[in-house]
Amino acid sequence: MTCSAVDTEKLNRARRQVFLALFIAIAVSLHMLESLLPSPIPWLRLGLANTLALSALYLYDGRAAWTVSLARVGIGALLLGRLFSPGFWLALSGAIVATSVMIIVHRTCGRHLSAIGVSATGAAGHALGQLLTARLLIIQHEAIWQIAPPFLFFTVFSGVLTGWLATLLLERLAQHPAFQTTGGHPLN
Amino acid sequence: MSWNRPLIIGLIVLLLALGWLRTNSADTEQVRRSQLMMGTIVEIVASGKSSGQLEAAIDDAFAEMARLDRVLSRYHQDSDITRLSQSDKGGRVAPETAEVIAIGLDVAERSHGAFDLTLGRLKVLWNFDDENPVVPEQAAIARAMAGTGPRAVELDGLNLIKRSPQLMVDLAGVAKGYIVDRAIGVLKKHAITDAAVNAGGDMYLLGQHPEHPWRIGIQHPRQQGGILATVQVRDRAVVTSGDYERFFEQDGQRYHHIFDPQTGLPARGCQSATVITDSVALGDALATAIFVLGPQKGLELLADYPGAEGLIVAADGSLHPSPGWDAYQDTP
Amino acid sequence: MKTPWQIMTKGDWLIVLMLLGIALVGIAWLAVAPTGTRVIVTSGGETCFVADLDRPTSIDLDGPLGKTHLVIDEQGAYVTGSPCPRKICIAMGPAKRAGDLLACVPNRIMVRIEGPAGEDAPYDLLSR
Repeated sequence: MTCSAVDTEKLNRARRQVFLALFIAIAVSLHMLESLLPSPIPWLRLGLANTLALSALYLYDGRAAWTVSLARVGIGALLLGRLFSPGFWLALSGAIVATSVMIIVHRTCGRHLSAIGVSATGAAGHALGQLLTARLLIIQHEAIWQIAPPFLFFTVFSGVLTGWLATLLLERLAQHPAFQTTGGHPLN
Repeated sequence: MSWNRPLIIGLIVLLLALGWLRTNSADTEQVRRSQLMMGTIVEIVASGKSSGQLEAAIDDAFAEMARLDRVLSRYHQDSDITRLSQSDKGGRVAPETAEVIAIGLDVAERSHGAFDLTLGRLKVLWNFDDENPVVPEQAAIARAMAGTGPRAVELDGLNLIKRSPQLMVDLAGVAKGYIVDRAIGVLKKHAITDAAVNAGGDMYLLGQHPEHPWRIGIQHPRQQGGILATVQVRDRAVVTSGDYERFFEQDGQRYHHIFDPQTGLPARGCQSATVITDSVALGDALATAIFVLGPQKGLELLADYPGAEGLIVAADGSLHPSPGWDAYQDTP
Repeated sequence: MKTPWQIMTKGDWLIVLMLLGIALVGIAWLAVAPTGTRVIVTSGGETCFVADLDRPTSIDLDGPLGKTHLVIDEQGAYVTGSPCPRKICIAMGPAKRAGDLLACVPNRIMVRIEGPAGEDAPYDLLSR
C-alpha cells in the first residue's frame, strides 16, 4: 500500500484511518460472535474484541485505542439492535474500563510487560466494568459479586489469549510495507 | 506450534477449574423450577444424582404440561373444551380429554351431582376473572344452569355427547390435576424417583424429599400464613379446595368460585376440604364435591373411594377428618 | 509462531498470577461463606431483579400489562399494586421463606425466595 504521493504526513494519516477502520470492523465481528456464546448473566462477555483495541494502542496511541473500542461498542450495539439496552451499557462500561486500564498500564509499566500483561490487566478491568454496571442496573444486589471470582478467573485467560493474538497480529503487520517507514517496532 | 508442557498444564488447570465449578455438590442434587402456566404458578422439584438428567426431565415435564393445557383449557381457542362448548351436539375429543371427563363423570355420578362438569356457562356468568365481578341475577343464573347435571353429557369412547346444545363443559381443577399427574408420569419415564409437582396448591409427591418424607402444609382457611395441619406423604396427591382463594365480597357476603350445582350459588357448607389420594385429577374432583356436600355427606363420599382420605373444615370452623387421616397427619 | 509463554515477560507473569490468585481466593471465600436469603423476580421467564430479603426496598416490575409494585420489608416480599384484574397477587400475602412463591400471572411476574433452607421450615410445600 505504498504510493508515489510525496506527503508522508497525509499518507500516514490515511493509513491510520484505513487500518483503524479495519480494526473496528474486525472488532465488531468478534463482538457479535461473542454475543452468541452462553454466559451466566445475559450480556456479560469475555471481551475478545479488545484484541483490536490493544493492537491499535501499540500500533498508534491511546486515542486510536479509544476510537476502536468505542466504535466497536457503538456499531456492535447498532447491528445487534441493542443500542441503549442493558447489554449495551455493560459492553460500554467494560470497554471504557478496559481501555483506560490498558492505556495506563502501557504508559506506566509498558517497559516491563508484553502485550499479554497489558491485556490481562485490561481484561480484568473489562470484567470489573461490566460487573459494576450489572450491579447498578440489572442485579441490584450483592449476590452479583458471587460470580465475580470465577468470572475474573476466566477473563484472565481470555486476556492472555487476547494479548497473544494482538502480538501475533502486530508482528504480521510489522512486516507490512505500510509500517516500515514509521520507524521503530510496533511492539514498543 | 509444538505441544509443549506449559500448554498442557494450562489446559488441565482450566479443565479442573471448569470441573470444580460444575460439580461442587454432594451426592444428591435438588433442582427446583417454576413457571407460570395454567393460570397459576407451577413448581417442579426433583432430586437425583445428576442435575443434567433432572433438568432434562423437568424440561420435558413442563413441555408436556403446556401441550396438555392447550388441549384442555377453556381459555385456549382450539382446545377440545372450547370446541365442545361451541358445538351443538358435542364431538370427538382427544384421549386425554376423554380420560379427564371420565374421572369427572364418575365423581359426578357417585356424589349425586355435587361435582358437575357442565357448569361452564355458570362460570362465565359469574366472571371471576373480571376486575369487578358482581352477583348475577337469579334469572340469569337459572338460564345458565339449564340442562346441567351429571347426566347432561355422556362419553361414548372418544365421543362426547351433549344433551343440550348450549351446555359448556368445564373441566376446571380436574384438568389441572390430570396435567400434574401426567407431568409426574414424564418424570417417572426419566427414571426420577423423588419429585414434587405443585400447580398452585394441587400437587403430587413422588418418593420423598432428599432428607425426609414430603411434608405438606395445609393452608388455614381463615388465617393468612397460618397452617391448619401438616401431613407426611409419599407417592400421593394432595388437593385442597377452599373458599379463600378466589372470591369477592358484596354487601358483606363472600362469594367464592366453588358453586353448588343445585343452586348456582357458591356452596356454603365448608371453608375448605383437603383430599389425599393417588391421583391429583381424582383428588380435585373429590375435594370440590366434598366442599359442596359439606362435612357429613362429604365423608360418606370419601368412604366410597378406598385409599382416599380427607380433612374437612366445616363452615363453622370445626374439623372433620376421615377415619384414615391420622395416618398422614404430622402435627395438629 | 510464538506461544504465549515465549512472549510473556516476568512482569506479565506477575500480573497474571496475581489476578488468578485474587480470583481463586475469591472462589474459595465464596465456597465457605453462607448466602443470605434472596428475592428473585422473573418477568416472562427471565430474571429481571434480585434483592436481599433483609434489605427494605420497593420496586416497580415491568410486565405486558404494566407495572407490578413489589415491596420488601420485615414482613417479607409482597405485591402492593398491579394492573391485573383480580389482584390475586396482592391477596397472596408476603413471601419470606426459602421456596415461597408469589406471582402476578396476567402480568407474567413471578417472585421466588431463595436461600438457605432453614430447618425451621415446618413444611416443604403448601396445599391450598
